[in-house]
Amino acid sequence: MSEKKSAHLMEVGEEFEPLEFVVTPELNQQYLYAEEDFHPRYIEESESGPPLVHPGLLLNMSNNTRSPSFYLPPGWGEIHAAEETEYLNPARVGKKFRVTWKVVETYQKRGKPWHVLDILIVDEDGVEIMRRKMTNTFASPELTS
Amino acid sequence: MAKITKDTMIGEEFSGKPKRITWERLWTFSGGPFAASGWPKKNLHTDPEFAKSLGLPTVGASATQYLGHLAELMIDLFGEGWLKGGKTSNIKFIKLVPEGDVLTTKAKVISKDEEGSAVKFTLDVWCENKNGEKVMIGNATGVVK
Repeated sequence: MSEKKSAHLMEVGEEFEPLEFVVTPELNQQYLYAEEDFHPRYIEESESGPPLVHPGLLLNMSNNTRSPSFYLPPGWGEIHAAEETEYLNPARVGKKFRVTWKVVETYQKRGKPWHVLDILIVDEDGVEIMRRKMTNTFASPELTS
Repeated sequence: MAKITKDTMIGEEFSGKPKRITWERLWTFSGGPFAASGWPKKNLHTDPEFAKSLGLPTVGASATQYLGHLAELMIDLFGEGWLKGGKTSNIKFIKLVPEGDVLTTKAKVISKDEEGSAVKFTLDVWCENKNGEKVMIGNATGVVK
């Protein structure tokens, strides 16, 4: 059995295992409650098609902690520090989405490891939905501040 | 109906509605899908003991939770079309958002540039806590056609 590699040890060029998920109306409405945003565009069909997926759902489901291969040892956590997001196309409820993560930069600052990830969400038709550049650092009592 | 038009002036400010970060919304946003076993998942956003084990004073809301608030404000300002070409950039998360805090997302037009018959707006964007302190800063762009 192979050991999981801790996220803070991932190197440039390495990728987390992709995640695929379907956005049901129920999952979307979970995020509408969390985001306190009950606009009908996220609930009702329109001339453009099924309801829109709330951006908060897409952002949260594309955090690398959602990857099936994400691992940190006990006592470690990942801290989201900075972000760039491109909204490429609207996402629709009922579709399956695939998220990919690639480490594109690593460095040390203030005694802590930092990582920059390229993240892409694509729907089941191959339509690019969202591209993110996510900068993370890590928290642990083992690290100096 | 979009609030930003070609006539919107540099310096104009906009504000989203205040949103309280309750336990229920923290768990709903960061606890994983309701349908997953063991909901809500324990992590630094949902469990005080987990957060303290990492050296944090308490839980902190996921930054993607208030990135979602920012997306809501941008859609309010530019319309649903913002989901096809809208961007956020230089976003930095500069302060922990604990349970019970109240966040308000704000935006200020800092430039407008003609792109053919369209106008591209650049905004300073930020999110304030209940004490008026900024917890997130950055920029966003949107186009009015």
